[in-house]
Amino acid sequence: MSGTMLAVDGLSRRFGGLHAVADVSFTVPVGQTLGIIGPNGAGKSTLINLVTGHLRPSAGRVSVAGRDLTGARPWTVAKAGVARTFQIVKPFRGMTVRENVAIGLLYGRHGMGRLASALAAADEVLDRVGLAGRATATPGELTVTDARRLEFAKALALRPRLLLLDEVMAGLRHTEIDPSLELIHGLKAEGMTIIAVEHVMKAILSISDRVLVLHQGRVLTDGAPRDVLSDPRVIEAYLGHRYARRER
Amino acid sequence: MGARPERAATASPEQAAGQRAPTQPAPAATGAALPRRRRWLPWAIGGLVLAACFGLQSQLYAGQERTVATVFMFVALAQAWNLIGGYTGYACFGQVVFFGLGGYTTAALMAHAHVSFWLALPASGLFAAVWAALIGLPLLPLKGHYFAVATLGVAEGTREVITNLPSVTGGGAGISIPTVGPDATTGYLGNDGFYVLFLLLAALSVVVVGVVSASKLGFALRAINQDEDAAASLGVNTTRTKVTVFALSGFLTGLVGATYGFQQVTIFPARLFDVNFTVLMVIMVIIGGSGTVVGPVIGAAFLQFVSEYLRQHFTEAHPFILGAIVIVAVILLPQGAVSYAGSAWRNRDFSLLDNIRRYRL
Repeated sequence: MSGTMLAVDGLSRRFGGLHAVADVSFTVPVGQTLGIIGPNGAGKSTLINLVTGHLRPSAGRVSVAGRDLTGARPWTVAKAGVARTFQIVKPFRGMTVRENVAIGLLYGRHGMGRLASALAAADEVLDRVGLAGRATATPGELTVTDARRLEFAKALALRPRLLLLDEVMAGLRHTEIDPSLELIHGLKAEGMTIIAVEHVMKAILSISDRVLVLHQGRVLTDGAPRDVLSDPRVIEAYLGHRYARRER
Repeated sequence: MGARPERAATASPEQAAGQRAPTQPAPAATGAALPRRRRWLPWAIGGLVLAACFGLQSQLYAGQERTVATVFMFVALAQAWNLIGGYTGYACFGQVVFFGLGGYTTAALMAHAHVSFWLALPASGLFAAVWAALIGLPLLPLKGHYFAVATLGVAEGTREVITNLPSVTGGGAGISIPTVGPDATTGYLGNDGFYVLFLLLAALSVVVVGVVSASKLGFALRAINQDEDAAASLGVNTTRTKVTVFALSGFLTGLVGATYGFQQVTIFPARLFDVNFTVLMVIMVIIGGSGTVVGPVIGAAFLQFVSEYLRQHFTEAHPFILGAIVIVAVILLPQGAVSYAGSAWRNRDFSLLDNIRRYRL
């Protein structure tokens, strides 16, 4: 459990005149879970997309386990062991749940050559996220909770070293959050490095070893979860400066 | 009206399926999940159909034989389009460019270079495949109607280039393949020969699509079709996969074009790059069922036979009636005949009205 899993250095991305992500630098050591929070439009999803290759950075560097992946295409990043979930779930609707999961097993880091073995291995991943009984269902038949589980299972099928979770709790009821938290804690226990973008504070506090706050594309602060959440600058970013002054 | 119109009318397909799901596991969405023991069955049926088509030949008059050979040609063309338009979801509206290039490659090789047809045929397929890869690299990043329009433009542009290279292609006056005398490199194959050749090309295209469909590549194609970003984030090299399948589709189309060119003997740009070929491929795949192995075969056979029947019995109104049939078919079977038959059989609900509700509302 040593070394750096992800290093982001001076990362920037402009959309026209807008600095969606501006000069962001941080590192995540192997085995750590980093929570990323910030108000809407802070650049959280853009940051994830820059790391996974869905967007190319305007400036800066990204490296995973010492390998430079700046501007690499998404499949190269995936094969390097970086898995992600999408904020809006992206199932393959015409395929069964089992086949959805098989894609990552066939094309991921340890790309399997044979369909039959990938489909068999998919069942193990489904078992792990609690979808074992729905292997032959199509994604359209799943409940909201199960659709999130499928999104998880597809990412885990890559057998990732680094897992990026983009708001996996969004839209879930309180009781539905607990199974997801349990799953993430299980992955933490196995030593998986995780970055979780999340709005649900209960989830952030539960899983994060460290929290980074983005505000207007920049890193506002970065530290232990409790300290960060009581930081007046963070409260101001979320609720405005008047509210922050009154709290003081 | 079917037995369960109320539910079908009020619930979206997802909801309706969700209510059923706990008691009745959803059927496999694809052929790849067919029970292992029955995987040989489609191949056996296909083999029987192929054998029957060989036997059929001796029972037909010359005119009928030509009609059936044309059906085989369209089966092969529709199946080739199915790879890129059906499985991958990239509606290519310039597919005829590979057909035309195949025909012209064969004509030029046989007329100018005195190459045997049996060498010109694979060369035409390869040339079409290379052209597909070359135009695929810049065009396949485009999505939806942008891709459709761009490929349409390439096909029209290529026809103009062919028309304006008279030294090689004969220009607008056309080019003739020598089929008799000392210049003939390969004797004309005749009705029987082209029947067998088109039948073999149809069989080849069905086998290629069947193999691709149940392979690792087929999984990648369907994933790209459903959600390209998600496919890429799971390690699928979407650029390479799309270019590969486009080249494969172009290869098959080029082979058919080469055979068609030889059959016609004299070919013209206006005929070989006729956009109607593309339109027919698209309609056949959509009516039969895009992204399935059997769908394009059914679509091509249905449309071609109906068209031929109408041509003979309603000389004047033939295009009008054919158009009406296509419209009705697309309205009643929005997802194709094969998908309709599959879901109707599973749900024991053969009502076409329920089918429309399921897929259009």
